[in-house]
Amino acid sequence: MARIYIFKRFERFWHWEQAALIILMLLTGFEIHGSYALVGWEKAANLHTTAAWTLICLWLFAIFWHFTTGEWKQYIPTTRNVLAVASYYTVGIFTGAPHPFRVTRLSKHNPLQRLAYLMVKLFINPLIWVSGLLYLYYNELGASKLAAGLELGSIALVHTAAAFMMLAFLIGHAYLTTTGHTPFAHIKAMITGWEDQDEPVTIQEPGARS
Amino acid sequence: MRAGLCTMTVMTTLLVGAAAHGAPDPESAKLLKSTSDHAKFKVLEQDFKTGPEVTKACLSCHTEAAKQLHLTQHWTWEFLNPDGQRLGKKHVINNFCTSVASNYASCTTCHIGYGWKDDKFDFTSQVNVDCLICHDSTGNYRKQPGLAGNVVTQPMEIPPGSGIRVKPIDLKKIAQAVAKTSRDNCGACHFFGGGGDGVKHGDMDSSLASPDKALDVHMDATGNNFACATCHMTEGHQVPGSRYAPTAQDKGGAHLRGKEYTTNPTTCQSCHGQAPHKANAKLNDHTGKVACQTCHIPSYARGGIATKMSWDWSTAGKMGPDGKPLIRKDAKGHVIYTAAKGDFVLGENVVPDYMWFNGKVKYTLFGDKVDKGEQPTLINHFEGSASDGKSLIWPVKVMRGKQAYDPVNKTLAVLHMAGNDDTAFWTNFNWERAVAVGMASVGAPFSGKVDFLATESTWPITHMVAPAKDALRCRDCHASGGRLEKVPGIYIPGRASDHAGWLDAAGWAIAVLAMLGVLVHGAGRVIVSRRNK
Amino acid sequence: MKTRLSPINVLSYCLLGCSLFAGAAHAADGDWKRGRVYYQKVCTDCHTAKAGGAIAPNSRTMADWTSYLKADKHAKGKESLKKYASKEYRVSVKATNKAAEKYADVPDEQLFNDIRTFMLKGAKDGDSPASCL
Repeated sequence: MARIYIFKRFERFWHWEQAALIILMLLTGFEIHGSYALVGWEKAANLHTTAAWTLICLWLFAIFWHFTTGEWKQYIPTTRNVLAVASYYTVGIFTGAPHPFRVTRLSKHNPLQRLAYLMVKLFINPLIWVSGLLYLYYNELGASKLAAGLELGSIALVHTAAAFMMLAFLIGHAYLTTTGHTPFAHIKAMITGWEDQDEPVTIQEPGARS
Repeated sequence: MRAGLCTMTVMTTLLVGAAAHGAPDPESAKLLKSTSDHAKFKVLEQDFKTGPEVTKACLSCHTEAAKQLHLTQHWTWEFLNPDGQRLGKKHVINNFCTSVASNYASCTTCHIGYGWKDDKFDFTSQVNVDCLICHDSTGNYRKQPGLAGNVVTQPMEIPPGSGIRVKPIDLKKIAQAVAKTSRDNCGACHFFGGGGDGVKHGDMDSSLASPDKALDVHMDATGNNFACATCHMTEGHQVPGSRYAPTAQDKGGAHLRGKEYTTNPTTCQSCHGQAPHKANAKLNDHTGKVACQTCHIPSYARGGIATKMSWDWSTAGKMGPDGKPLIRKDAKGHVIYTAAKGDFVLGENVVPDYMWFNGKVKYTLFGDKVDKGEQPTLINHFEGSASDGKSLIWPVKVMRGKQAYDPVNKTLAVLHMAGNDDTAFWTNFNWERAVAVGMASVGAPFSGKVDFLATESTWPITHMVAPAKDALRCRDCHASGGRLEKVPGIYIPGRASDHAGWLDAAGWAIAVLAMLGVLVHGAGRVIVSRRNK
Repeated sequence: MKTRLSPINVLSYCLLGCSLFAGAAHAADGDWKRGRVYYQKVCTDCHTAKAGGAIAPNSRTMADWTSYLKADKHAKGKESLKKYASKEYRVSVKATNKAAEKYADVPDEQLFNDIRTFMLKGAKDGDSPASCL
């Protein structure tokens, strides 16, 4: 089986730290919202704020990294093969058809991934960050009269809506990581950086699952 | 020898230490704070027979004091509301003992004067100002009820015919020991508002005479030991911080020593400033909406003395099987019914009610139209809203009552309660006669009929500030069913009633559908992969 | 070991005597407010916690209290009452008792006199009978 080094060290670190922070913020965020009691409101609010700042820092590094390495191009949307990939996940995956997309170093996301991640980066994330910062600095906002009439309830509404979107993304994303040639293949790649090419022509080693 | 040297050193240090402060007596080592020792004044070397005699002596040095006091609410019992309502004890009606009118000799026990026994009192009299009630330091100065604020200097039976002998007080000794006001002085009246210890305010009772830190972090007798006047900083005998014109929101900074201010010195902010929370700065973000008291007074009546939460006058007048006025007590021995006053509900460690308050209070006064309705009549009403820019969320005590009114003229009744005559309710238990005399005393018409209606009065909670560790926690309000559940007009994170129901429903629905989707998809893959094996 | 009186020791005790006398001169009027704090926050707190409840000053007459204080007997005569107003005692409980801490340095006689003043004043027949809260 061919192996390809696809996720670099910083990228892996960024991904997993971001994943941990987002899960933490979803858990604490919905506690702040009042959906349940888990760690206590005060602790939840403190954790949520700390995690937010950590994630902002991480993002600054990530943006820098994406532009200096040119990796941002990975998220340029394309319509090529979108339908093919979509039909793979709805039909082909059950009939044993091969994945229509081949991962390369220059193109590590399939067209659906590109679209989904771009959506997260350009829509959900900004929505969360902007509403979250407004939420956090609501007092200063009120004092500055920059956003007179903008009520905390409206800010919270947008923030909560974005959080639900993030939750839905997380569920779908987490599930789709199990759709590699083995259930843990993608997760392994995200940990080690090395992706096994699931080519049907590859000679199978003894004991490997088909 | 070495031990001797040590003793010597200690003794010398004591002596030298004391000398450095100018006090010759190392044992007391106490620097007199005042430049005057009143025990040395010739004019106080008298066997005073009455209060005004003492005042006359005081005024011989403190020439302007009485004139200063004449300007205070303490003297006039009057306050002109900015909106024109004439308020003050003399005019308002409450739902405790209801009104001063027609009960002067009893109520004016707490007047800072001598002899206000009816509506003919001379408010220009200087010698009738009572200096000692505020400046006694012996704790022995006392005014007996029913004497119109006069003091007992001869053995007396009070009330007459009761067989209770009251000890005279030693005015000379008291006058010679006058001092700055203390909690005991102010408390002599303010702890007992409403006719008994802690009855009226809930955040003021005799437990504050010598409180510990948990009860009041500022007045803590073992620590800060604030007097009332530490915050209610008087100047020329004018006492700031009246609840008739409270400062609901203070946007000023902490007052500096030596600098002159026109703003109220009794607010929390006048010492603590606008951003007092150092450890958790997010808390400072609350001060634009929430009064300090809301979080820092977690409950009132915390000192072991119950306050009255409701008072039902309509049940008054019951006689026991022995034909004597009935008295009932609860398991703790607190009186919960008397024939004279009706039924009470008492409360200790009471969680306040919370409401928007902008400092304006509107009263229902004599002559204002009232009627029995679904809602209780508001004896006073705290104005404020989330949006007026002047209000904060304040803790309050809501006192509920049922009190007499004239159902024909639709006005609150003035009750003649106290007095040794044949009309006072407490002696005769006859409502019609007591109200007739009461109404006549204020020149109000009375139909001859008495009925009772539900009333509510509201009192700000601002004393019994707890140490920081006992302040409210986030979850006390950031929750559904929390302390601020009923406060409208503000989004409180964590309070479900503020949520957009559709968003939560849609959001969770999408999350659940996504979950179901991946489960079904995954199950399909498992089945297919098994079949292929 | 035999105690030898050195001139310096003698001088010290003279000074101590003088200061005690000065204290006694004030015996008539102690600081009843300080006495009240000590009575409530040290005596009563401990009585409530360990000795079956508070004893209100107005539960006894002035004569009762005078003879009680003079007898200097605590816990049914097993120990000295004054011990509980002593510096030594205050220092021993000051970690857990703020009143004891605040008055840790007040001379024994002075504090005892303050407490006496409060108790007599608050007695059943005193100038202002004081109950427990």
